Amino acid sequence: MITYDDEIVCAPRAGTLYDVLELILDRGMVIDVFARVSLVGIEILKVDARIVIASVDTYLRFAEACNRLDLEHDVRSKTVPELFGGPAAKTMAKAGARRTARSLTSKVRDILSPEAAEEDEIRTRAPARRRREPEEEPPRRRPAPERRRPAARPRGDEDERTRPRARRPARED
Amino acid sequence: MTGTATTVDTLYVYGIAPAGVRPPDTPGVGGAPVRLLTAPELCAAVSGAPERVRARRRDLAAHQAVLDELLAQGPVLPMRFGVLSTDPAALRTQLRADRDDLTAQLDSVRDCLEMNVKGTAVPGHFADLVRRDEKLRVLARRTRQRPDYEANVRLGEALARGVRREARRAAGEVLARLTPLAVRVAGGPLDEERVLSASFLLRCGDEQRFREEVAALAGRLGDRLALSVTGPLPCYSFVAARPAGTGR
Repeated sequence: MITYDDEIVCAPRAGTLYDVLELILDRGMVIDVFARVSLVGIEILKVDARIVIASVDTYLRFAEACNRLDLEHDVRSKTVPELFGGPAAKTMAKAGARRTARSLTSKVRDILSPEAAEEDEIRTRAPARRRREPEEEPPRRRPAPERRRPAARPRGDEDERTRPRARRPARED
Repeated sequence: MTGTATTVDTLYVYGIAPAGVRPPDTPGVGGAPVRLLTAPELCAAVSGAPERVRARRRDLAAHQAVLDELLAQGPVLPMRFGVLSTDPAALRTQLRADRDDLTAQLDSVRDCLEMNVKGTAVPGHFADLVRRDEKLRVLARRTRQRPDYEANVRLGEALARGVRREARRAAGEVLARLTPLAVRVAGGPLDEERVLSASFLLRCGDEQRFREEVAALAGRLGDRLALSVTGPLPCYSFVAARPAGTGR
């Protein structure tokens, strides 16, 4: 389970190049007598990337989360307690949104520079290696010693706790 | 004209500024050095065009960086990405012909900047949705009693609609709060997830206040709507797409 610090999550995200792509591509001035390179395809690809979200998978995830709610007792409650487990509920949801944004960004990034991934200087928050990791991984920016500190980290850390801290020395054998 | 074949004379045009600005140090599209082509009262930031112009991330960023540097010096009319001029003489002629219009447009964005705010629907708050929506409650109960794939998809779809509705409502509120701070507002394309996309033309002095307002809104509505704010940007959304003198 991802636990972002509340203050970080509640601040507006600083936009990336991706966020202003349509301004750079579709707004701004054009002078007719000049040539303008046509960039056919980009708009369509943007739409494709978004349609992925409104998918059956998403619906099933939502339904599953809803099925976990205690409808009979919690329906009158003022808070959103059972959904993702206590105070993490809000941040979880937002982390979800972020993940969505991340995967979109990387998708569009791939589209923009398909043949040369290394030219990608503007790093989004989606380092490629994170893609393969399960959602439980806490954000990288959290310094290592702090990782065990937060008390309300329901799961995902057990793995680390039971494992001795000997990660660096190669233990392949 | 994908991959327009360019000649040595072809110029990539970044934007138009009043005469007298310093040439940007930032390398341009394709890494080419940026220079200023001057005409009376106006100048255009240009560089040699690469052999093929494509919307590569690095080049989009370069386009943006050159304009940022000009913006730091004063008003600038940003060109869209990928505008080429066949030769310097043609560009000078154009600047002369459109001078009045371009100068007026520069005046209209003087001491202004563009801030772009986007809002994406945040899924969650299902308990809240279910509590407030009788139909959803019935659907949720029924799904629980008779859980099957079909029912779950329907429930999930209804929840997704609720999430979107909440996000749109929040987006309306954001727009209503931010609009009074701006000189002009320009909307952008929306879809199911992106329920808010707007550019705000601000007086330079109002940027801080604007940011604070966005931060406050993000804190208050953040469980429904994730906001991102980009800027200060050159005023892409607040220049006429075509100068009055040219074309249609």
